[in-house]
Amino acid sequence: MDTYILAIESSCDETSMAVVKNGSEVISLSITTQMDTHAKYGGVVPEIASRMHTEAITFVLEDCLEKANMKIEDMDAIAVTYAPGLTGSLMVGVEAAKILSLMYHKPLIAVNHLIGHIYANNLEEKLEFPLLALIVSGGHTELLVMEDDYQFKRLGETMDDAIGEAFDKVARVIGLPYPGGPNIEKLAKEGNSSYELPHPVMDDTYHFSYSGLKSAVINLVHNETQRGNPIRKEDLARTFQDVAIDELVRKVELAFKNTGIKRLVIAGGVSANQYLKSEMKKLCDKYEAELLIPRILYCTDNAAMIGAAAYPKYLKGEFSDYSLNVSSSADIV
Amino acid sequence: MYTLFIDTHYTLLHVALFKDEKVDLEIKKEGVKHSECFILSIQELLEQKGITFDDLSGIIVVNGPGSFTGVRIGVVVAKMIGYCKNIPIKVISYLQALSLKYNLECMIGIRDKNGVFIGNFDQNHELVGDYYYLSNQELEKANENIIFDEVINLDKVYEYLKDKKSIPPHFVKPIYVKKIEVDK
Repeated sequence: MDTYILAIESSCDETSMAVVKNGSEVISLSITTQMDTHAKYGGVVPEIASRMHTEAITFVLEDCLEKANMKIEDMDAIAVTYAPGLTGSLMVGVEAAKILSLMYHKPLIAVNHLIGHIYANNLEEKLEFPLLALIVSGGHTELLVMEDDYQFKRLGETMDDAIGEAFDKVARVIGLPYPGGPNIEKLAKEGNSSYELPHPVMDDTYHFSYSGLKSAVINLVHNETQRGNPIRKEDLARTFQDVAIDELVRKVELAFKNTGIKRLVIAGGVSANQYLKSEMKKLCDKYEAELLIPRILYCTDNAAMIGAAAYPKYLKGEFSDYSLNVSSSADIV
Repeated sequence: MYTLFIDTHYTLLHVALFKDEKVDLEIKKEGVKHSECFILSIQELLEQKGITFDDLSGIIVVNGPGSFTGVRIGVVVAKMIGYCKNIPIKVISYLQALSLKYNLECMIGIRDKNGVFIGNFDQNHELVGDYYYLSNQELEKANENIIFDEVINLDKVYEYLKDKKSIPPHFVKPIYVKKIEVDK
């Protein structure tokens, strides 16, 4: 018997719904992004995001069901991102999911957005365990071991800023528009790693740290400006990106050596970075490990990954009731 | 058939069912988290009457003004039910709902923590101008004859909306009134 899950994602500035079959096959995916609106303000404005989700929600549902050529009655469950993210935005998706669940007598499955990013890989190829999962996004930088479905052990995480946050702040400091991460990457392609920036945590732990690196960029820009030296923006973008990503590579290498695991999943918005991908590919080749990164469509926020992550919970019968609330932060472990 | 009434605009969570143009059953909860109790309250309402969503022929939702998140929860759920079950939705602001208790031109105010939402209505209960918000400080200076009221009469709401047009679910929107930081 096939299982169809209608999944909803509204944790930040994308309203998305998807129909996913057996946790692995995307039957339909509908996404509206608010990026252009927030670009005017230089970042996501939470209240505006919530308002736009409210306007979009029924349109996205209609589009998703039309593309799937299915009805809500055909679904086996309703899944929704409940955390982490912007509270007001999450709430739009969660209330919509709850009322769908009540109206159509379908079980409700609450999904952690970060776990969704890991399971996005299941839409490409069935996840095999054990694996290492590196989560790199605007709110998270962490390295985990997964022994089985939903079995997580954290090796390490950032002690301060997330890597995506550092990309965005550095972008702002050197005058690049929102969204900062992709713009740094674009500019870095034209530059050389010719500035001196400190390498974060150079030890044998799995800790990450990005606030020192970010501050070093801010100080560098400040000092050079004081001295009247122009900033070579593309070189600074390149140097920053290299240092930030080399640090991820070093920690993953440590994990390969220490755990003997031969499989790496990279999840979260920063996994769209090409330099990250190519460096991790080299590393995985060196350790004869398998590298899993979903295509860009499934790297960025989307509901298909939520449907994929909901499936193991569906099989185990882990359902939520209608008192389900949202949470801006939520740890995987 | 029944009409579902939804009001989540501020701290009071209020849902009700109309039958034959009168309130048949209502549930009010004060001091609860809307996000945790709202859907359960709708479920409770339907179960107490032994009916389903297919027994609904209309939805009335209070679309503000009030707490942004509170209003939004009510509007999102109304939109979803209206869209999925093809049920017409009618909206009313809480200020207009209050104005139905008064038969003359009136200025109605509802307070929140920091100030008051205000609407001016003519004798037919139609809004004159726009809704606006005065902070407590601005309110002290304002020399206005505001009627501060809190409790609406549901039967009057039903009667007023009876001949009004419904709004397609896609286009039902909250009234926000208060400015947010980036608008200032």
